[in-house]
Amino acid sequence: MAALSEIRSSRPGPAAVNLSNDTGGPDDSLVRAAQSGDRAAFGLLYARYSRMVHGILLARVPLSDVDDLLQDVFLQALPRLGTLREVSHFPGWLASIARNRATDFHRRGKPNDEFDEESVSVQKEPVAPSTRHSSHSSTEAHAVLDAIRSLPDAYREPLVLRLVEGMTGPEIAARTGLTHGSVRVNLHRGMLQLREILGRKATPPTGGAL
Amino acid sequence: MTTNPTNHEEEKLMNENYLWDASGTPDPEIQRLESLLADFRGAEPALVLPAKLVATRGKFRGVFVHLLSVPRLAAAAAILIAAGLTLFFALRSISTPDTGPAWEVANIQGEPQIGVKAIAANQAPSRLHVGQTIVTNSDSRASLSQADLGEIRIDPNSRVRLVQTDPNRKRIQLDVGTIHAAIWAPPGTFVVDTPSAVAIDLGCAYSLQVAPDGSGSIRTTLGWVGFHLNGRDSFIPAGAICSTRRELGPGVPYFEDATPAFREAIAQFDSRPQDSPARSGALAMILSEARAQDALSLWHLLSRTTGAERTQVYTRFAALLPPPRGVTRAGILNLDQSMLDLWWNSLELGDISVWRFWEQSASPQPAPNSQQLLQKKQSLLKQQP
Repeated sequence: MAALSEIRSSRPGPAAVNLSNDTGGPDDSLVRAAQSGDRAAFGLLYARYSRMVHGILLARVPLSDVDDLLQDVFLQALPRLGTLREVSHFPGWLASIARNRATDFHRRGKPNDEFDEESVSVQKEPVAPSTRHSSHSSTEAHAVLDAIRSLPDAYREPLVLRLVEGMTGPEIAARTGLTHGSVRVNLHRGMLQLREILGRKATPPTGGAL
Repeated sequence: MTTNPTNHEEEKLMNENYLWDASGTPDPEIQRLESLLADFRGAEPALVLPAKLVATRGKFRGVFVHLLSVPRLAAAAAILIAAGLTLFFALRSISTPDTGPAWEVANIQGEPQIGVKAIAANQAPSRLHVGQTIVTNSDSRASLSQADLGEIRIDPNSRVRLVQTDPNRKRIQLDVGTIHAAIWAPPGTFVVDTPSAVAIDLGCAYSLQVAPDGSGSIRTTLGWVGFHLNGRDSFIPAGAICSTRRELGPGVPYFEDATPAFREAIAQFDSRPQDSPARSGALAMILSEARAQDALSLWHLLSRTTGAERTQVYTRFAALLPPPRGVTRAGILNLDQSMLDLWWNSLELGDISVWRFWEQSASPQPAPNSQQLLQKKQSLLKQQP
């Protein structure tokens, strides 16, 4: 499907933005440019922060809804950018919008969304097509994702960003606006709990519900 | 969101550099989890969203025409309609409602009018209520905003009426002029009626223009927009433009960076009568000028052509962008909707499935009752180890 990538790379608009500069960079300048109505700057911010927003959402809502909500978050942020007085707060501000959008998703519900947040951890997602894993390992991947989602809020988000989105701790801190110390602690505490859960699942049940 | 370390075990875990920044000796367990979970990773950004549509106009019109086939009933109906319209417009011009649901009017320049009342930036905050119309002249402009919706900027020489502002549906009517919409409401919530098409927001930013003769055009800058009239749909993704005409409805959308010859041919194709030589010539030009990017336009041409012309469109489309698995030549030539949808989705300009969902559902799905929720939860709990 080379023609598709050709379309995507040459199409005008944010999808054509160069994504290579994914770490660091003059985000303050980008935010200011986006505030003044520069669509390309907003597109670049979208490219740089979409992984972070994707991870925040994936930690909280069903997989099948993440892509739609991802766009919702940025489309909520776009017209509100002008209200952001301190451009350096953009990462934390955007992360807050993403968390609020996820909360709003569960509060409002959807026609096919019968589950509250608690049940997300046990909801069986439709298995996405995978080119890398067998159906067995795909099932295992969903089980691991469910296990991460069952962790407390503070742990599941950094773990999803680290293990799913492939971001490093420093990147997570930079992108979410949290301190290095907080991210580091939450990553390790979350990993500790995840190991416990996965260890329990690997051990044959001895009775009693989880 | 944050917690602090409280015991030695965590301090020991803090030494796991691989978990922190992927440096140091790789932890095989973490590597395995990374590999397992990589398929859930977000794809590269693409600003596209699904849509919503309610199409009932045709059904009601059919019933109405049938009733009017009885002469006396038709005469009585005509008198009633005339009286009703006279009363409606008289009341509307005398008094405009200033209570009930309303949108904020901001960024006022000059003196736009709401009803017969001029508003200005230095006055008390203004609001546009359902049923009211805001009019800008050549020296004035304003914007409408609503917390759950977004912002709509109104250019000079425009007339906009607020039709509906329910939680699930926000609707305005653009009679003439230009608006620029930046919408963060869920896809399908925001609808704009124009004299020649209905624009359905699919999560995006766009500009919509209506000329005094009722024709219009839309230019999408983020996401995508659906343009609809009398069963004819056009989807306009970021970077594309689409025009619309009274009675005919939306034309064929095209990307702004298409060649001048391609754009001119699209305009000719849209404006010429079906089966006219000029239209056929325009189609030939479109097909010869089309690039891979112009698959957007070719997809729309499939349903706007017949017979040999549709075959020509298919052949060119397939040469530029081979159809995905599950899409056959025969199916496309017969306008098999599922195959058309598959091919559209392969363009990665927006997921058409939600558009179809909204198109087919005249009313929202009822919320599941508590018993259904309980049963669903119980069945899920049984699946747990």
